[in-house]
Amino acid sequence: MEANLKRAKSGDLKVSVHRMEIERIRYVLSSYLRCRLVKIEKFFPHVLEKEKSRAEGEPSILSPEEFAFAKEYMANTETYLKNVALKHMPPNLQKVSLLKSVPKPNLDSFVFLRVLERQENILVEPETDEQREYTIDLEQGSQHLIRYRTIAPLVASGAVQLI
Amino acid sequence: MEVWMNDEVPERSLLRYSRFQLILQGDLGPFNPGLPVEVPVWLAINLKQRQKCRLIPPEWMDVAKLEEIREQERKEDTFTPMPSPYYMELTKLLLNYASDNIPKADEIRTLVKDTWDTRVAKLRLSADSFVQQQEAHAKLDNLTLMEINTTGTFLTQALDRMYKLRTNLQPGESSHSQDF
Repeated sequence: MEANLKRAKSGDLKVSVHRMEIERIRYVLSSYLRCRLVKIEKFFPHVLEKEKSRAEGEPSILSPEEFAFAKEYMANTETYLKNVALKHMPPNLQKVSLLKSVPKPNLDSFVFLRVLERQENILVEPETDEQREYTIDLEQGSQHLIRYRTIAPLVASGAVQLI
Repeated sequence: MEVWMNDEVPERSLLRYSRFQLILQGDLGPFNPGLPVEVPVWLAINLKQRQKCRLIPPEWMDVAKLEEIREQERKEDTFTPMPSPYYMELTKLLLNYASDNIPKADEIRTLVKDTWDTRVAKLRLSADSFVQQQEAHAKLDNLTLMEINTTGTFLTQALDRMYKLRTNLQPGESSHSQDF
């Protein structure tokens, strides 16, 4: 795109429209990247743990740069904690397990979703003891509010979309 | 929130080029002076600000239609389908930048605001009953993204907290105390 811009010696309007579009695309891409980086920073030990434990054939959930970022972030946090606090502690307390101390992502939180492919018989678990569990059908194009855990596999397969 | 929307725009004589090609949306044009052409909203607003065009409002943005929509919204208890999933954003943008191209702009503003208020009030009521009866699931068809986002974050956080309080009622469970 940017090469095209340089080639177009013609006047202002076409160039500025292309430039606007480039800016828009850049904004969307960078906000996507920002979102992923925030997630990495928030849950870094769990992300790295998942990456380590995935099977050989499965695609990675992080790009190579993101993986390097996560590893560096972990190393930096460990060094920081060590230098600021841990090395002044008595010797048997000098380890901290980041995996246990950093909060895990909450898979039970409620999310809004839109259905892309019709699904049948999704089990809705009861919230209180008096309620029974029941099943619902998800019509295509409808929107719902439900706990993430019940629909997690559908998000992964692309049948529903979080909004 | 980034949205992709389409609108209608006729071009005036200042344009010399007949076609555009956008990366994500394909071809635009041809742009001939005086003839209407459909472009994405961001481009339409930009061209309007540079005084190169006039904007034509979408066909639902007219007093009679909006009155009908408002009446129907007030009658029903559930949410009625809206003419466009982005009606609020479109109204705001068009009325801010192109109110001279829209007949009876002030009335339209009031009508859309009334409809919005009714819908948001319904949303508040239903969120309240959802929380009180501790439902596990809600169907929210016909709600636009803008409305969902007004209460969305607060509602999901409140529901998460409540769920946490409920599931931690049994003491001595092996749940991690640090689950966030």
